[in-house]
Amino acid sequence: MSCTVRIASPLRSYTAGAATLAARGSTLAEVLANLEQRCPGIRFRMIDEHDRIRPHMRLFVNTSEARELSAAVREGDTVHVICALSGG
Amino acid sequence: MTLTASERARYQRHLALTEIGAAGQEKLKAARVLVVGVGGLGSPAALYLAAAGCGTLGLLDCDRVELSNLQRQVLFDSSGIARSKAEAGRERLASLNPEIRVLAHALELKAANVCAVFEDYDLVLDGTDRLSTRYLVNDACVILGLPLVSAAIHRFEGQVMTYVPGGGPCYRCVFPQAPEGGVANCAQAGVLGVLPGVLGTLQATEAIKLITGVGEPLTGRLLTYDALEMRFHEFRVARRPDCAVCGDAPTITEPRDPAALPTAAGPAVRRLTAAALHELLRDARAPAPRLVDVREVYEFSAGHLDGSINIPLGELPERLAEIAPHEAPVFICRSGGRSLAACELALRAGVAAPANLDGGLLAWAAEVDPELNVA
Repeated sequence: MSCTVRIASPLRSYTAGAATLAARGSTLAEVLANLEQRCPGIRFRMIDEHDRIRPHMRLFVNTSEARELSAAVREGDTVHVICALSGG
Repeated sequence: MTLTASERARYQRHLALTEIGAAGQEKLKAARVLVVGVGGLGSPAALYLAAAGCGTLGLLDCDRVELSNLQRQVLFDSSGIARSKAEAGRERLASLNPEIRVLAHALELKAANVCAVFEDYDLVLDGTDRLSTRYLVNDACVILGLPLVSAAIHRFEGQVMTYVPGGGPCYRCVFPQAPEGGVANCAQAGVLGVLPGVLGTLQATEAIKLITGVGEPLTGRLLTYDALEMRFHEFRVARRPDCAVCGDAPTITEPRDPAALPTAAGPAVRRLTAAALHELLRDARAPAPRLVDVREVYEFSAGHLDGSINIPLGELPERLAEIAPHEAPVFICRSGGRSLAACELALRAGVAAPANLDGGLLAWAAEVDPELNVA
């Protein structure tokens, strides 16, 4: 399955500034593992050592929130990585 | 609260809107709105609320106007540099609309004063540049039953959401806990000047809708904006029954300062400013700290602190053995976020007293060595 991942602005230092990346996987876990291969370190910013989504990060598949890494990702979906921003 | 002849003339374009009309304008006149953080977001929000005839407007900010603020903080001008933002803003708004009452709160918001300040208002707009204050503002609004319109920005991106008591999710439902190291603010990461203009006016729009009761508030939805792509995205967010402040069994029942909040990290991470690390490195009597740069290899190659080693954050779990347990490492990255995650990881792995370079190498370049190239 091929999907698009939209990266939150604070994490774009891992993607050489790219806002979106193509990734493969049929679950969120697989998509993030695929992303990690090309952007080392990015997964740890979103997911802790216990495979939990960090509390200041939110992951959405299209417009629906995914609270578990087992969430299904289908062909053509967009995974949105949202991060709490602090600037004012 | 009826309108005077002068007010009817001033707000004629609102009166012409059937959705607002005289009744809505009178609600605006009776409204008391507090703007927390009079910066990039608070400036346009306050200007539009004042122009719209919001009867009582509070400006809360403990900072003073700096030259670098004027690129986006349109409430101020060059003559206001070094003045209190709350005071300078109050004067500007009083000049814009003498019909309204503007109150300046030149103070730092803390658990001890937040309720006393908030109690005099009906609605709060959050545009602070500190994540810990966002949680304090959210918690106080939930506890006091005040609606809150919260917005935040980073570089070219922004997000906004509205909380209404008894309705949808609060800020803590969406982001239950701040990251240990915080996230970069505008000074560290940079920000497109016009970006807070977009988000701040969205906040003012939400405030006017909530006050007048028109339209559909941005509750249960997180709206994000990407200026580079010129795209808005909207995400459904739900109230969490286990939310620490608005959930079914809240554990936060009164506002607490961030230091008092429990953290997942256990023992505290040592926090070093760039100046403090500089002093530490110059102190010949102190043992030289182990500097661990957790950025990616390409970032490290572009420029780094002398004597630092490079272990990208993603490799740290496997390479922690390269740091001796007694070495008390100082973790370093670009702006302080990744390095704090490294501190957290090291603490859990049993490394004694890891330290974080707060603000990262961007702070180092700003405060210590402007020659340092930070990729």
